[in-house]
Amino acid sequence: MSIKNTYIPYQMRIANITEEAPLVRTYRLEFVNPDEASEFSFKAGQFAEYSIFGEGESTFCIASSPTREGYIECTFRSSGRVTKALAACELNDIIGLRGPYGNTFPIEDWYGKNIVFITGGIGLPPLRCVIWNLLDQRDKFGDISIYYGARTTKDLVYKQELEDWKNRGDVNLFVTVDPGGESPDWKGLVGFVPTIVEQNAPKSTNAVAIVAGPPILIKMSMPILAKNGFANSDIYTTLENRMKCGVGKCGHCTVGKTYVCKDGPVFSYDEVLLMPAEY
Amino acid sequence: METKLLQSNDLPTLFDNLQKSGKMILAPVLKKGGKVFFERVTSYDQVASDFIQTQFSAKSVVFPKVEELFTYKKTETGYDVTESLASIPETVVWGLRPCDSSAFDYISEFFLKENPDAYFATRKERCTLIAISCPKADDACFCTSVDLGPGSTAGSDILLTVMGNELYVEVLTKKGNAVIETAPSLFKDTTAKIKDEYLAKITTRFSIDEIKEKIKNAYNNAEWKQESMGCLGCGSCAFACPTCTCFDIQDESNGDEGSRKRCWDACGLSLFTKHNSGHNPRKNQTERRRQRLMHKFKYSVENLGIVSCVGCGRCIRVCPAHLNIFENILTVTKD
Repeated sequence: MSIKNTYIPYQMRIANITEEAPLVRTYRLEFVNPDEASEFSFKAGQFAEYSIFGEGESTFCIASSPTREGYIECTFRSSGRVTKALAACELNDIIGLRGPYGNTFPIEDWYGKNIVFITGGIGLPPLRCVIWNLLDQRDKFGDISIYYGARTTKDLVYKQELEDWKNRGDVNLFVTVDPGGESPDWKGLVGFVPTIVEQNAPKSTNAVAIVAGPPILIKMSMPILAKNGFANSDIYTTLENRMKCGVGKCGHCTVGKTYVCKDGPVFSYDEVLLMPAEY
Repeated sequence: METKLLQSNDLPTLFDNLQKSGKMILAPVLKKGGKVFFERVTSYDQVASDFIQTQFSAKSVVFPKVEELFTYKKTETGYDVTESLASIPETVVWGLRPCDSSAFDYISEFFLKENPDAYFATRKERCTLIAISCPKADDACFCTSVDLGPGSTAGSDILLTVMGNELYVEVLTKKGNAVIETAPSLFKDTTAKIKDEYLAKITTRFSIDEIKEKIKNAYNNAEWKQESMGCLGCGSCAFACPTCTCFDIQDESNGDEGSRKRCWDACGLSLFTKHNSGHNPRKNQTERRRQRLMHKFKYSVENLGIVSCVGCGRCIRVCPAHLNIFENILTVTKD
């Protein structure tokens, strides 16, 4: 049988654990089999099915950049059967991984452009992959602005990397927490992410915007981008629907005729507007 | 295609020869309560006759209700994972209807065209379809509305049509030929015959070309709510349907060992699209029922060029709320 069986997972060792926020962890994963490590490659935007043998599979983006070789990273919130079991793992535990699945952000189309990222909470992990992918080739892009916020200071993820991005000097970083969510020693912005975006009025000339995160954030950010002159075809998002197989067969993720897993998860906003609102 | 004749009293002999050739045979069997189901049979007298349609389709031959993907066993260095493909037997499905054979064509296209499925491919390769055309139909049958018919050969390896004491045998594929070769002396060559007088007369409910055109604008039709009112979200239609292909993936474990399996799922079930956050993209039964019909008559066409309904009528017969798919489709596409 010459058909590759996509349901057999790679085995991955948990090489590093970071507690990002309450219930949110990042795992750095390395392939147990070095042959598989060298044949595996992915691009920004793709996701994988991560599994605990005996508990099941869960879908997350690949949160590390493809420019970093030798490992991949995922960030997840413990909220259901599989993620709770994943959260109970320790260093050197073996988990399963299937992938990479999905389409990719068209990064080559963005060379020379200004890039605006807008996201919140655990919407940052799928964009972190793109952000590092751009920063690892910084001179290919114009201005890079990142608008990121969370409900409270504690809920911000990648806290160390936010510091790194702030201190780099070649990124405009706006980190905010919801009003009432700031800790006593919080020195960043206070306000909902869309509000901060509106106040800073990102310019649309020669720019693309990438928006991801809670549906309410996306819904409120789109009119602001439109007001600032962003065309729908210059706004990108990553849709997250309930996904299981990853390859367009199990049917859980469909939006009209579109399979989020294989036709997405990356879509431009004008593509999203053509779909029924079933996401 | 070759055409042959087989005497009706030679059918049991053909059956026995197939049985002896080592293949597993699935055929319609009459169960308590008067309903007919596909089951494994070892003798011809178990095979049901004089029925219109089986309760469930034969798709479980190539897409089982529960299918083991792999087994695993924890070791010191990780897991030993064994793919579960080796034990799939050569199977003959005996006595399915032409609508069901055509359904195999659809699900083959679905599972194999893009990102081919290793499990489906293996099962389909090892499966032979011997269909029997329909002398009778009921009010739930509507194959002629979807460009099929009680004597359609689409998807079959062999199609048998009863003509008095004889069976007209259409040998359609190499696998069909292999069946003939198990008992070649039973068959006589013949010229092509017209089947019409031996086939059921089926009421055509709509023109599929018209439906395919009108459904493009049907998504926001206010009639969906009324047409879906009775839907309980039980999933029976999907489980009985020969073209439904949705599934879930679950693990089962017993200490350090276990397996990963996939099992039938249905878009009509309320949890089908629900996110862990609680957000449900199809939040009520109207939206879920709409999905079923839009998928069969629009999205399948957009993705694979084929309407995925074969008019077998099972969903109509099995629905506890008496929903009728062709009546619903006509209502939501009315001008």
